[in-house]
Amino acid sequence: MTLSMCLYLGAALMCIGIYGVLTRKNAIGVLLSVEAMANSVNVNLVAMSRYFGGTTGQLFAIFVMTITVAEVAVGLALVILFYRALQHTTLDEATQLRH
Amino acid sequence: MSFASPIDLAALALFAPIGMALLLAAIPGLRRHGWPAAWLSVATALCTLIVSILLLLRVDVDSGPWVATTTWLRESGGTVASVGLRVDGISSTMLVIVALVATAVQVFSLGYMKQEPPSAVGRYFTYHSLFVFSMNLLVLAPNLLQFFAGWELVGLTSYLLIGFYYQKPSAGHAAVKAFWVTKFADMGLLVALLVLFATSYDFGFDVVLDPPTAIIVTLLMFLAVMGKSAQFPLHVWLPNAMEGPTPVSALLHAATMVAAGVYLLVRAFPLFQQAPVTLEFMLWVGSFTALFAAVVAVVQTDIKRVLAYSTCSQLGYMVAAVGAGSAFAGYFHLTTHAFFKALLFLAAGTVIHTVHSNELSKMGGLWRRMPITAVTFIVGALALVGIPGFSGFFSKDLILEAVAEKEQIGPLAFLVAGAFLTAFYMGRVVLLAFFGEQSPKAQHAHESGPSMTLPLLGLAVGAAVVGWFGTPLSGLLGQSYEFHWGTVGGIATLLGIAGLVLSYLVYGNHQLHPDRSVVLRQLAALARSGLVDQFYARLFHGAVIPLARIVGWVDRYLVDGVMNLTAWVALRASRRLQLVQTGNVLDYVFAVIAGVVLLAVWRIWA
Repeated sequence: MTLSMCLYLGAALMCIGIYGVLTRKNAIGVLLSVEAMANSVNVNLVAMSRYFGGTTGQLFAIFVMTITVAEVAVGLALVILFYRALQHTTLDEATQLRH
Repeated sequence: MSFASPIDLAALALFAPIGMALLLAAIPGLRRHGWPAAWLSVATALCTLIVSILLLLRVDVDSGPWVATTTWLRESGGTVASVGLRVDGISSTMLVIVALVATAVQVFSLGYMKQEPPSAVGRYFTYHSLFVFSMNLLVLAPNLLQFFAGWELVGLTSYLLIGFYYQKPSAGHAAVKAFWVTKFADMGLLVALLVLFATSYDFGFDVVLDPPTAIIVTLLMFLAVMGKSAQFPLHVWLPNAMEGPTPVSALLHAATMVAAGVYLLVRAFPLFQQAPVTLEFMLWVGSFTALFAAVVAVVQTDIKRVLAYSTCSQLGYMVAAVGAGSAFAGYFHLTTHAFFKALLFLAAGTVIHTVHSNELSKMGGLWRRMPITAVTFIVGALALVGIPGFSGFFSKDLILEAVAEKEQIGPLAFLVAGAFLTAFYMGRVVLLAFFGEQSPKAQHAHESGPSMTLPLLGLAVGAAVVGWFGTPLSGLLGQSYEFHWGTVGGIATLLGIAGLVLSYLVYGNHQLHPDRSVVLRQLAALARSGLVDQFYARLFHGAVIPLARIVGWVDRYLVDGVMNLTAWVALRASRRLQLVQTGNVLDYVFAVIAGVVLLAVWRIWA
């Protein structure tokens, strides 16, 4: 498995994530897409780390995972609050920020 | 006497009154109770007087100007302006005049203001202390900039004191009128200062200028003098200024403040000498004012207004003297005039105080009731008329001689005719007020207390004898003057006596009846119509208000229009921008990602 293949995988994951964030109407779907983007970064980090030798990239990947876990916890909590307030999780209809 | 340098004395004369004014202003209790303020103020004036006299003696002994200045405005190029004290013959004599008249007037006011409420008395004396400071600031100024500051301050105190009876609408109007007219004229001095500084980087009284600039600067300065010293056609405020208390009229509007204009002419005479055109103009304006105001004074029925027009007229003499090239003649007349005109006003004040009216018709036969006032008033009148021996005689004689030397028949004729009319109107006032039948009000008239009669007596002595001191005064100013009889002076004196005789024939034994004289009737009608005031009213309605309308239109539709247009554009733009704010989270996310992509594209391609 060459470096470029790994980078293509990372880029594909990132594009899928962006596509998901832009097209999903459901809050949980958007969260999942964000996770995909975070993991594309992880793939890049690990691949680079292997390619150049050294462990900094791998450490950073673990660091990113930790933060993503925290982020998902907060994100899901927000989704639950969202649902309690509006009885649905469709982001398109959440336009309260305007007021 | 070497316990203090002349500068120290001058500083004391300057700072004692302002200290007192600030003290009275800062402690309301002193002012509200009135009389403590009055006594403190009188004590300060007396202290100023003593210091001034000591200073004058010092100058007399070892003369020579002493100047002490300190930098006020600094710039990288050097000092822009300094303030300080200049003690020399002119300033020290003027200081004594101011302090003397101020003391006399303040002592007089102790009696005159007795019936006023205490808080009004406190206010009155606070203004008085402020005035003495302002006048001394002006008198001791080493340059025109400080002079201007004092000049404006006396204008302010004049405004405050004219409007002293602020409950009376006419007093308020008179104060505002005085303020407007003199401020309009003061613009001249301000612009003159700017021109002077722009061309020579100096505010001195004796800057050397090139001829065109000298003419511009001096003409502008003379405009200010015309306002302050009530020269035609800017004299209109002075008769109205009589709305103030009579002692104020004596101090500000007869003896000292209005003389500040003449003082400026004398002070800045080296400047004026460089502009013969201005001097010529001054000669004509001064002599015309002297005659014009005397004519109007003849038909006034209010004793204070007679004296006010007389002041205009006498200031005209002084201005004409300086215009004729003799600053000393003008200054000499300023000195003598300060004494006899302050005396006349104060004596008129005692009359008004007891008769409770300004109208000459309400007086009459008062000399039996108030002999001291009558005698002192007559002494003042004789000095004003210029009867030989009295002070006004010497100074007026010198002025006429100086003007005669110019060999211009117009101004000389005006001044000589003015001398005749002066005698006539003064004779009229004396006869109407103090002789003849007693009017009902005058029957209960009585002499006032010593605080009012003592200043009268003191000033009467001054008015009688100060003319004999012309020679030492000329020495102080670096001139030489010796009295001698001249043709013009002789003619003027004879005409003065003739004027007195004529006034006796008309108002004394009624050989001629005033109402039968067509000239006098026409004159009275003309004076009552207030021709100059009407002219200003026309000017105001015809020019100033339309101009204000135009300026108002420009302000409303052009200046404000640009502002309103800017606001309108911003409002519309923000309405459009509002549409972008959908509130939809996904749109914001899209914007963020689009931004990132754009940045990446920009980074790669550029």
